[in-house]
Amino acid sequence: MSIYAPDPVEVQAAADGAPVAVVATAVEAVREEWLVEDRWWTSTPLRRRYYELALADGRCVVVFRDLESGRWFAQPSPY
Amino acid sequence: MCSMIVCVLIPRFALLAAVEGRRESLLRPVALAPEPGGTQAIGEVSGPAEAFGVRGGMALSEALARCPELVLVAPDADRADSAWEEILRRLEAQGAAVESERPGEAFFKIPRPPASSLANLPLWGGHVEDVVRRTRGSLGVAARIGVAPTRFAAHAAAATARSRAGRGRAAIVREGAVRPFLAPLNVTLLEDHDLAAELERLGVRTLGELAALPSGAVADRFGKAGVRARRLAAGGDRGLRPRTPPEEVSESLELPEAASGEQLEHAMSLLIGRLLAHPARRGRSLRAVRVTARLAGGGGWRADVVLRRASTEPERLGLALLPKLGELPGPATRLGLRALAMGSPGHDQPTLSRSPEERRRARLGEAVRQARAAAGREAVLRVLDVDPRSRVPERRAMLTPFPE
Repeated sequence: MSIYAPDPVEVQAAADGAPVAVVATAVEAVREEWLVEDRWWTSTPLRRRYYELALADGRCVVVFRDLESGRWFAQPSPY
Repeated sequence: MCSMIVCVLIPRFALLAAVEGRRESLLRPVALAPEPGGTQAIGEVSGPAEAFGVRGGMALSEALARCPELVLVAPDADRADSAWEEILRRLEAQGAAVESERPGEAFFKIPRPPASSLANLPLWGGHVEDVVRRTRGSLGVAARIGVAPTRFAAHAAAATARSRAGRGRAAIVREGAVRPFLAPLNVTLLEDHDLAAELERLGVRTLGELAALPSGAVADRFGKAGVRARRLAAGGDRGLRPRTPPEEVSESLELPEAASGEQLEHAMSLLIGRLLAHPARRGRSLRAVRVTARLAGGGGWRADVVLRRASTEPERLGLALLPKLGELPGPATRLGLRALAMGSPGHDQPTLSRSPEERRRARLGEAVRQARAAAGREAVLRVLDVDPRSRVPERRAMLTPFPE
């Protein structure tokens, strides 16, 4: 059992792909953004665009968009 | 042929146990009263009560508003547990490895027949129909039986057996027919009733409609519960987790008159002595104990006690168990004790000399066993660093069982 396993989450994104709301809570600021690409040499590559967000209710969350499936996930993480 | 799973279903089992098996009592609007000391919500309800819109888990005030003639029956969880345990033991006596998460619902697997003929095996050798017939014969009570390649489909088959196969006949879903079988069934068959209600509100009424939704959309809207429900609706499921048949170490005492206060404390001391002298204990210490009572006013009561240290000392057990008697909602006519978990033989024996490190290790092990007895196997886990520098967070650490 992984302790940092990502969970599907509902995210609304702007035209440039940056999140504007997470589960109906507005994004106050994008604190950081980075790309993780791994296993690109296999048939199941891992490509994720991460965002560290400050939300309007004061929470700080990390979400990523799976660039293979297009789905959003919340990442409990030590970031 | 693939392996098949049999579901034995006795709807409203807790309610049936509370009315002492008198099925005719359920021909009128009846519901289990709220548990003493618990939330004011009713338990299982009879069919006529459902016709008034009364549902299990509903607030008592709402249930009575919907059905003013609703009759409340005092719940007796201990009686239901004992009656269900008897049924499970009958199934296990036939050779079935049984999984059961709640009274009234049991599953076991009919493994794939081996290439060589083993037709003389008592349970598994025959056809599915033979297994169903033997199962029904061993139960001794009326039950709905469903057979299918997956657990959820077997449950759905059992739940709809009467309308599909007729009274007293099992519903059998063959390999390859699971998805078409599930497709027209209502989403209320899902265990997660809140999720089913929300799906219905959104217009998703059948399992087929749920299975046809894109998995990403279901995940985004309902999270893990939705993903699991969609997998079930599409004919997938987890494997069975058969239980290890528990040893029966229990004692009970009929009280000549409805007792409370000091009389009950005497009865409890006597029961502790009897439980410690029970031959099936075989020298093992007691780690978790269930106190049960039959109430003079009808119904039953129970409370579980997990000891800080597994013990065989009557004084220590008394200190842990006697305060529970103060929680009894009324005078009792019968008091019982049942061992739920036991320690190793001679667990309490002190050693002559041990290093501080060994003693600390022993205390830690004891704490882990106590927590697991109270909250299950996965109550205590430890973080194992797998790849701490990985850029993918879920690969960094795993949770593994904590060694005792």
